[in-house]
Amino acid sequence: MSDTSLIDELPGELLMWVLIISELLVFGAGLIAFMGVRLTDPAGFAEAQSHLHRTGAALNTAVLVTSGYLAAQALHWRQIARRGAARLALVGAALLGVVFLIIKGAEYADKAAQGISYETHPFFLFYYLLTGFHAAHVLAGVAILLLVAWRDAPRNIEAGAQFWHMVDLVWIMLFPVIYLLG
Amino acid sequence: MSDPDITSCRTGSDHLVVAWLGLLILSLASALVTMAPVPPAALGAGILMLALIKTRVILARYLDLAGSPAWLRGFTMVLTCFSAAIFGLYLI
Repeated sequence: MSDTSLIDELPGELLMWVLIISELLVFGAGLIAFMGVRLTDPAGFAEAQSHLHRTGAALNTAVLVTSGYLAAQALHWRQIARRGAARLALVGAALLGVVFLIIKGAEYADKAAQGISYETHPFFLFYYLLTGFHAAHVLAGVAILLLVAWRDAPRNIEAGAQFWHMVDLVWIMLFPVIYLLG
Repeated sequence: MSDPDITSCRTGSDHLVVAWLGLLILSLASALVTMAPVPPAALGAGILMLALIKTRVILARYLDLAGSPAWLRGFTMVLTCFSAAIFGLYLI
């Protein structure tokens, strides 16, 4: 009985929570592996990290949390029947997702210009793997936000926004480990 | 099964604005901590602590777990263990 009520406490669809937990575990394992491999060459990891653009990544954090705010606000507005405002907020959230990808693309282009690839150092293998996999989720999230802006039933918006917040949550875990802990 | 017009969202607009501003302030604080002349251990602890607080804000307000305290506690506990593991590996 109590197990059922605990599950019922979760907002939204149970399957979205299964997805959120799975993604957090996958990225969490990747980040722990990254820190584990760092032990083999801390100086090399610190040197490799110095090539990253922290300001761009910090800006991307602000972009994603603002986008997450718009997605959360969209659900609130849809529930109080402000349908137009909700759709606009979802499109705004998706556009900020595109801004995130543009900044990320510029960062990758800068690395390529410096001759840095995933083969340069194990640090960059993890960097491209983890940030690239996250960027793929951002791309999927942008498509989902636009989809739920079109098919805007409250339950659809709730599921789309939850996916987007998961993407946000992963970035909040990933950013300090990859970019800041030298 | 479920009505597409009904969701379980409980977070109000004011809470969302406060959460968003809080996340921006915490992100700025993370940037400032990296510039502070502090020992690496304090730097790592500060950075991870701020990230942990940010994840809790997202879970509580954006993902609406503020109304499900048991789940919020569970997520916070697992993320705290994750941060402790990262910090431990950082210190070695």
